Amino acid sequence: MEHIVFGIGITALAGALATVAGSAEDTESNIGSQGDPNSQVQLAPQMGFLHRIFNKAVAGEPPAYGLWCCLGAGLAWAFMAMQINPVLAIVLGCVLATFVQGVYATTAYVGRTASLAKFGQPVYVDVLKSMTSVTMAHAFIAIFCTVTLCHLINAALGHPFPLPLLGLIWGIALGAAGSATGNPYYGKERQYQNQKFGAGVPISASGNIVRYAEAGERNSIDNGFFTHKIGGSASGICFGMIVFLELWRTVLFEQISAGWGAIIVGVLIILIFTVIDRYIEVWARKNYGPYAEAKEASS
Amino acid sequence: MSAVAAKPAAGGAMNPTAMVVGIVMTLVLIGICYMFAPVDSQMMVVSVLIGIIVGGVLIGFGTHFVPVGGAPAAMGQAPGIATGVAMLAAGAGLAGLFGGAWAAEQGMVVAVVTGGVGGGLMMAITCMMVNFVYVFGMGIPSASGKVANDPITGDSQAEFKSQGTEGHGLPFVSFVGGVIGGTLGGAGGTLIYIELLGLYEEMLPNVMQVTPAQVMPIAVSTAGMFAVGLFLVNAVLTAYNITGTIEGPHDPKFSRWPRAIVASACASALCGLVAVLIVVL
Repeated sequence: MEHIVFGIGITALAGALATVAGSAEDTESNIGSQGDPNSQVQLAPQMGFLHRIFNKAVAGEPPAYGLWCCLGAGLAWAFMAMQINPVLAIVLGCVLATFVQGVYATTAYVGRTASLAKFGQPVYVDVLKSMTSVTMAHAFIAIFCTVTLCHLINAALGHPFPLPLLGLIWGIALGAAGSATGNPYYGKERQYQNQKFGAGVPISASGNIVRYAEAGERNSIDNGFFTHKIGGSASGICFGMIVFLELWRTVLFEQISAGWGAIIVGVLIILIFTVIDRYIEVWARKNYGPYAEAKEASS
Repeated sequence: MSAVAAKPAAGGAMNPTAMVVGIVMTLVLIGICYMFAPVDSQMMVVSVLIGIIVGGVLIGFGTHFVPVGGAPAAMGQAPGIATGVAMLAAGAGLAGLFGGAWAAEQGMVVAVVTGGVGGGLMMAITCMMVNFVYVFGMGIPSASGKVANDPITGDSQAEFKSQGTEGHGLPFVSFVGGVIGGTLGGAGGTLIYIELLGLYEEMLPNVMQVTPAQVMPIAVSTAGMFAVGLFLVNAVLTAYNITGTIEGPHDPKFSRWPRAIVASACASALCGLVAVLIVVL
């Protein structure tokens, strides 16, 4: 019984860490403009819309976070092997991983923006100076929380995978969950704030991103401020639920019926999310209604 | 024939010659594995390779189900999840592998099913949250651009597409496709891991001249890394097959799966051969 209570406590802590990690990951990628919406940041100067948005698409978010979390976890693991206190080892490992992220961010911004020189897009040194440190700070939070939850899974819950491999797996899952949930909110709702609410961006408007703020030109920190309220929170809840429910069903139900208990609970949770998804879909169709009459649309 | 002179082939066209070549290459690789395996454990080693091939095929097939819209989905211009095919499939499948590896001691069937459910759970949560953000964050209902009616619910789609877009969000059939894709990916990744773990536990103590207890961390780590690597190989191959974006099982691109199966089998056989030979040779 004590073992199960301990496991539930660790599961709750890991879920909370994952929620913070997901939120920080999405906000970092939006400030750095790393996910799929970066296609518009890259496209805008080619359409004649010069801007001061940070542009650091190093790679897709999942492989990028897979690298950084694996690096942080690997270094932390090495420090722990040197008999350094786990808390200090994780912090040091994550700091070093964050520096690697900063190097990638810098080279990505300079390289990608320089490739737009023929369209007149300047490399803004002040953008580089002010944005890089902000993305690094958010990346540190995301990496630290992910590596810490991996350490908890490994050391407290006894998962067989070593820490660096867990860092790689949960880093990729973090990037996948964060980019899937957070990208549309940044891409549609923030970059195309001048388009109608409640509709997708017409393909003909591609590249015409919003470039001006209340005073002066829009910068990427404004984007992070805007998107973290819904996109970041949703990404956090998404990754938090993934980690929490995956651990919860295993810790509580794995011993029932030689492992089948956790499987049955997993299937039940999938069915519950299926019902919620269908409810959301039907709710939207009823409350928002069609864009056009059915006959016109089909003709 | 040069690339310029080649006829533009339809994206979904099958090339029977290439398919046969792929199958023959797969069989040749299995034969090579049989030849190099120690005489007393040839069948065991070959069965491990076949298990890896089956796992790779499950991953390749499962990736076709995952609804991915790429960059256009991030602007609400196309349906699907706004990220890369290989990346999302890897995220779900590796989350499944995490659960499957945890259940490895419970036997192969339980571990593979646990891995599948873990992958499906990750995709169910992600797909639900995608629709949550579209509906409550952006006020956009789901609409498919590829079919007039949702094949599962029968909901009409065309009038819910906003002007100038190909659709947006995740219709119910895409949600179900995502869960199936995550399930198959998680099960495939776990199957590869379990097969390799069993082989390494058997062979590594003799190769390294250490006790089985000492070899466990190395066996687990190596099998885990190969499982992750094989997952990415198969997911990326499939991403090429569906050329970037797919809505799910109702998308016409889904019919391209047979050639991805052959390609995945061939690539898994080659990668699996390397994973097997490091302890056999």
